[in-house]
Amino acid sequence: MPITNETLESELNNIENSQERDHIRKLWDHADILMQEISVNLIQGNNTAVDELTKQALDNGFDANTILDEGLIAGMAIVGIKFRDNLIFVPEVLVAARAMKAGMVYIEPILSASGIEPIGKVIMGTVKGDLHDIGKNLCIMMLRGAGFTVIDLGVDTSSEEFIEAVEEHNAEILGMSALLTTTMPNMGKTITSFEDIEMRDLVKIMVGGAPLSQEFADEMGADGFGKDAISCVDLAKQFVANEN
Amino acid sequence: MSQIDKEKYSQSISKLDSIFREISSNVTEISKWRCPYKNMSDRCTAKFGCRNQKRTDVVDDLYLCIGSDNLDYRSAWDS
Repeated sequence: MPITNETLESELNNIENSQERDHIRKLWDHADILMQEISVNLIQGNNTAVDELTKQALDNGFDANTILDEGLIAGMAIVGIKFRDNLIFVPEVLVAARAMKAGMVYIEPILSASGIEPIGKVIMGTVKGDLHDIGKNLCIMMLRGAGFTVIDLGVDTSSEEFIEAVEEHNAEILGMSALLTTTMPNMGKTITSFEDIEMRDLVKIMVGGAPLSQEFADEMGADGFGKDAISCVDLAKQFVANEN
Repeated sequence: MSQIDKEKYSQSISKLDSIFREISSNVTEISKWRCPYKNMSDRCTAKFGCRNQKRTDVVDDLYLCIGSDNLDYRSAWDS
């Protein structure tokens, strides 16, 4: 089926390299109109529409693989290209990732029913006193994309909130982020709090943020340091692999 | 409830991971010259204060960013 959605066609025309454009166009070669609509709304970061359209697609009998490939991931491929080409920026990428999550809410129970469980559960938050969240949000996007369940505690998160979340969700991994040198020590304080209540062995703790280093992470007793979102997800996968 | 093809799902996750890895690599490069909190409409999405926020110009609760992309933006962030 050719692309019938005008907005999607226009998005494709933003891709300057004709070979790449043709390659990406193939993602919708067999895509129904509804899949094209899911892609467009994901690109535009319209999470309410992605939510409704994904539900509608499942109700109409589309299988989860098709929705995932021809709707959600196909849309995210365009988001990646637009970001690379500076047509959109980090906030738009994160809004698109939020829209993807809205669609995944309906896919996840099907995964579970098919025997595919999340590869791990991660609690993520920016430490107390720190309101910088871009790095954390990119890590969350990547972790979810890799198949982790992530509970986002947001910014300005206290040690008590981290502990409560790990307990409540029975999470195997905790990720803490800080951008300020003044708030970095709160990571160490949180780790000490886990030790004080004898919960330290129950959770792997990874830390990240621009001013941090492997040395600092080691000094405060973290299990790992992620210098960027890629190393964050690799680290989380490594923790899970070592557990099994 | 319908089932998912595990093999196809594994390929899908792999593809998504590769899209996200490329995005993440590009973030590192793009953040060298443009504040990551600044959206495509030059609006600031940060939850913290910054000297580059023009507080008299607000759209959808977002301040206009008046920072130059040629200068290091981090020194303007409130700490």
